[in-house]
Amino acid sequence: MSVIEVEGLTKQFGQFIAVDGITFQIEKGEIFGLLGPNGAGKTTTIRCLLTLSRPTSGTARVCGYDVQKQASRVRELCGYVPQGVSVDGDLTAYENLLFYAKLFCIPGDVRKQRISEILGFMQLDDRANDLVKTYSGGMMRRLEVGQALLNRPGALFLDEPSIGLDPVSKRAIWDHVSRLRDELGFAVLITTHDMYEADQLCDRIAIMNGGKIAVIGSPAELKAQLGGDVLSLTSSAPDCAGVLEDLGYQLLIEPSNGAIELVAGDGEREIPRVLEALRVHGIAVEAVSLKQATLDDVFLKYAGKRIGDGEAAWRDTRAMRRAIRRLAR
Amino acid sequence: MTALRVLNSIFTITEFELRKLRHDYSQVFMRVIQPALWLLIFGEVFAKIRVLPNADANYLQFLTPGVLAQSVVFVAIFYGLMLVWERDMGLLHKLLSTPTPRYSIVVGKAFSAGVRSLFQAIVVLILALLIHVDLNITPLTVLGVLAIIVVSGMCFSSLSILLASLLRTRERMMGIGQAITMPLFFASSAIYPISVMPDWLKVLAQINPLSYIVDAMRALLVTGQFASLPMDLAAIVAATVIITTLASVSFSRIIS
Repeated sequence: MSVIEVEGLTKQFGQFIAVDGITFQIEKGEIFGLLGPNGAGKTTTIRCLLTLSRPTSGTARVCGYDVQKQASRVRELCGYVPQGVSVDGDLTAYENLLFYAKLFCIPGDVRKQRISEILGFMQLDDRANDLVKTYSGGMMRRLEVGQALLNRPGALFLDEPSIGLDPVSKRAIWDHVSRLRDELGFAVLITTHDMYEADQLCDRIAIMNGGKIAVIGSPAELKAQLGGDVLSLTSSAPDCAGVLEDLGYQLLIEPSNGAIELVAGDGEREIPRVLEALRVHGIAVEAVSLKQATLDDVFLKYAGKRIGDGEAAWRDTRAMRRAIRRLAR
Repeated sequence: MTALRVLNSIFTITEFELRKLRHDYSQVFMRVIQPALWLLIFGEVFAKIRVLPNADANYLQFLTPGVLAQSVVFVAIFYGLMLVWERDMGLLHKLLSTPTPRYSIVVGKAFSAGVRSLFQAIVVLILALLIHVDLNITPLTVLGVLAIIVVSGMCFSSLSILLASLLRTRERMMGIGQAITMPLFFASSAIYPISVMPDWLKVLAQINPLSYIVDAMRALLVTGQFASLPMDLAAIVAATVIITTLASVSFSRIIS
């Protein structure tokens, strides 16, 4: 049985269809990413799974419980880090954890130990008794992840976990999440519009666009479907292209600016082989460049547009930074 | 089990609201400023103009319960702003994703608002005693007043939570808060007796929970006439139960 099973999930707000009949499963110990631009329906999907929002149709089960019929069981078993800031700046880190430990009715004797474990794990023990409004954005996010672990969840939901964070804190959060997954073995669902994050962190991703899932697969699989990397060679030798074709490489038709482009499954390993083969044939190469397939290319292929670093992504980052500042005021 | 869970949630939410107060108690004093002005400036001046028809109590005696109630209501009516803010931040989504029953969140938040208002009410009460307002202070009357204050704080903060779940933005909450505080205050027995009001205003004052709150505290602290006290208390509790229930039903809308 999968930890999260979603079938034909649809959520409609009036005339607007936010989530449109999506189906996917997430296994134990898997980090699954919902990747897509703003408004793709990622957050709405998470809210339906967390029983915060009622699906219009379709079913969803978390840890075996139906999100509509057994909502309170689902809530017992979920850990959630919402978009924005979910820790209280006017309380200390310890108090923030204690608050949720009490709300989850964790017995008094277990409580203290679990909190100190989490503080240690998230490397916040030395600041545990400082007010959270004195924390940096990265520390707040670590505390939020810690908060989501208090009830030993079977499924962890992270909504845009690294938005607004600097690269170092981002990396730290990724490390924490994958380490937690390894040690605690739960299923993780993250939403992101950061291609790089999805590529680094997720075992499988679903590309969402306009409320639908366009494609599901591991980052490597999805990139492989594009046909692999592209090598671009510049050489003044006139018979270079001919030699390459004789060697069995597939050349791209329109070599731009005199360069020869060829498709290579695994570009980084292919470069030395190509160069060696050309040297044997007495052909000198002046420049080589490698264009590796990215999830952005995958997204382009399935959604028909780039997700990248558009205006919307920046708006989110700014909003997040503002939220952190407001808390720190 | 469920009942235990509800009580646990209510007390947990209250406990942590009070912990916040402990980390920053300056707000207690901020909240005392306005009632202090009502008592010291408005009260002193109005005491000179004889507004009370039958002068068996002096005006400051008459006003003190009104100002006590005002100090609670004016703060509680803006309580929903904090919820809107918590919603905007993400805190409420997190809270609602826990197994905590919805209504225990509303009751817990409202109760904590009631308990918080105790502190400013105590400061106002001490202030009144310092300026020699002659009040009937016994352990029983003080306990009675404090209990009424907690319930009134719950009543009006629930009203504010209800409004927040319907209006859902800070701007609208500020607007509605500004719009209803003064009418609530003036259409009550807080600063003048209902008997001097024109008939149409009497009707409003009689459906205003604030009148009953003020009357009850006035009976305890000033007049010592307890005949209408059970009726006042019943009205306060009924209003609180009704409004808190409405707020609990409506609460989930705030995040949608």
